[in-house]
Amino acid sequence: MNRTTTWLGALVLALSISTSPACSKSAPSKPEPLKTLVVSKVSADLSKPDPDAAYWKDTPEGLVKMLAQPMIAPRPETTTTETIVVQAVHDGERAAFRLRWKDADKSEAGRLGEYSDGLALEFPVKDGPTPPVMMGGQGMPVHLFHWRAQYQRDEEQGKPTVKQLYPNQSVDMYPHEYKEAPGNPSAAEAFLPAVIEGNPQAYQKVSVDEILAEGYSTSSVVVGHGATAKGAWANGEWTLVIVRPLAIPGYSSLKLGAEGNVAFAVWQGGKGEVGSRKCVTMQWTPVRIQ
Amino acid sequence: MSKVKNWHLKREVEYPYDESRPKKQWAIIFDLNKCIACQTCTLACKTTWTSGKGQEYMFWNNVESKPYGGYPLAWDLRVLEKLGRQEWSEKGEYLGKTLIEASPAHERVLHFAPTDEDWMYPNVGEDDCAGAKVEGGGHIGALPHDKWFFYLPRTCAHCTYPACLAACPRKAIYKRPEDGIVLIDQTRCKGYGECVRACPYKKSMYNPHTRTSEKCVGCYPAVEQGIQPQCVVNCIGKIRVMGFVSPEGKARDDNPIDFLVHKLGLALPYYPQFGTEPNIYYIPPIHADREYLKQMFGPKVEAAIEKYKKLADDPVAHGLLCLIGSSDRIIHRFAVDKGVAAGFDEAGAEIVRVPVVEAVIERAAYDAKIGAIRNNTP
Ligand code: SF4
Ligand code: SF4
Ligand code: SF4
Repeated sequence: MNRTTTWLGALVLALSISTSPACSKSAPSKPEPLKTLVVSKVSADLSKPDPDAAYWKDTPEGLVKMLAQPMIAPRPETTTTETIVVQAVHDGERAAFRLRWKDADKSEAGRLGEYSDGLALEFPVKDGPTPPVMMGGQGMPVHLFHWRAQYQRDEEQGKPTVKQLYPNQSVDMYPHEYKEAPGNPSAAEAFLPAVIEGNPQAYQKVSVDEILAEGYSTSSVVVGHGATAKGAWANGEWTLVIVRPLAIPGYSSLKLGAEGNVAFAVWQGGKGEVGSRKCVTMQWTPVRIQ
Repeated sequence: MSKVKNWHLKREVEYPYDESRPKKQWAIIFDLNKCIACQTCTLACKTTWTSGKGQEYMFWNNVESKPYGGYPLAWDLRVLEKLGRQEWSEKGEYLGKTLIEASPAHERVLHFAPTDEDWMYPNVGEDDCAGAKVEGGGHIGALPHDKWFFYLPRTCAHCTYPACLAACPRKAIYKRPEDGIVLIDQTRCKGYGECVRACPYKKSMYNPHTRTSEKCVGCYPAVEQGIQPQCVVNCIGKIRVMGFVSPEGKARDDNPIDFLVHKLGLALPYYPQFGTEPNIYYIPPIHADREYLKQMFGPKVEAAIEKYKKLADDPVAHGLLCLIGSSDRIIHRFAVDKGVAAGFDEAGAEIVRVPVVEAVIERAAYDAKIGAIRNNTP
């Protein structure tokens, strides 16, 4: 039976069977609202994120309700992503989260006004009282894993060139390319402020960014700890796996046998969502690593 | 929302942050009666700041022909259309809503989001005339002309209440306390483009190569050294002057910008009704349609035009206009005495001195000393 059917209902059942028999799996029954995300151990190598791996078939799915980010403008006028379906496993070293949500168009950004589809997992940095679920608070930092379709495209195909984004663009010359030896990229890029300032945004990305935040408007990309991600879009739905090390000292850690917390955010680039224009979970979801 | 004082509108306006005026406020004045749309300013900025990758169609300074030109396409009409008709009182108090006040709750600023296509024709509408029919019968015999257009050079207005800054959820945009220049922090910007959407003047632009937004930097490295911006010092028509404007009530009559803005009321902010307190000021063109000018510069435009027509009778104003374009340094203070205008830097040292009326020297065409006829080639 097709996974999609488990939450899209009977109408889609008929549709998806006829349009996407390729991704048929024996999926668990219709996902229940997620109370605690139980992360069971699998005997598989999770170092490579794999949305189609066999172990997902036996992993229960939980339904998480999302809401248009309600706290600060700019925000979406209506909730664009109603629910996501969440699963998680671990291999003793890493945890893999599998997330599915409906998104009518695949958006990878690039040109002006084009925004990327994305999803973020959020974890509290410290034990004890949980931080405010939306971006944490002062002295109560949160640690995020932010996947973007745009970043994944970067990883797979390289950062797009201006010519790739705008095939008909024309320019007489880029004078900076002549500053030193032609073809010397350091000279060519030396006058691009975001590049010279080391803004990660201006460099080729890997699929997932690690971010720390202590409240609204404070998020900063930090040097990553080997998290990986892989998303696949088909038939109006993303299936994404984000893999993170269980323990990242000084950031966030998921401890065996213990309970932690996770929260989610989703962006639909095709609907102009970026930054604070997103759908979020309004409370922490407990995570148990067993 | 805070309530902040906006002296352009003679009232308090809503803004997400408290009032915090810089020590000095960067400002440019443009005399629209003199701009010739040579675009030297545009190119001066382009070659200085935006000749890199992802900046191919980016012009932090642009000059458009009004009423039909606009970069991006019809930017002002599209913002005005969103805002709808608003009113000023007889006394020049703005009774309408600003773009922040008129914003729906889920946005920070009422805006239109320009697309790639909108930025692709930077000089659309150039020299297109408005007014009477072209078939004939129209004469340019009286002011305002029945056929008209004018050139509008534009930079970022380094607004006192920047809409770009208000809209950025990352707080990546800041206004410098020392000179009021508004900058996008290129280490923090993540290219959300909220400023590109929100700036009513459309002076924040997206760079698809760095994936960050970029904007006019007010030539801050020059300004820090007491030098005026590139687009000002390279102006062929000498129609621009950069300096520092004081808020109403704190104006100094010997500050060139304050003199033209506050004392004479000659230079007006454009589209002040947007509510950002923009800091580029225009001496309105005397020949253009008055209703159009009122929409753009507010109710004080008639008075400014009358003032301009009589400017030659005011020796101090006359002197100041002669100083404009005579030095690349920022003139903090000026004085006109006995037909000579002088400009001084921040420390009070004289940087330039010019005669208000150039001496006319007549001489015979044939110069016997060199045995040749001299040409008066200007
Ligand atoms: S250089 Fe001066 S005269 Fe020429 S277009 Fe620019 S503002 Fe106008
Ligand atoms: S003109 Fe636009 S970009 Fe410049 S400060 Fe004002 S709102 Fe910001
Ligand atoms: S002030 Fe400088 S950066 Fe801004 S438009 Fe003029 S030349 Fe360009």
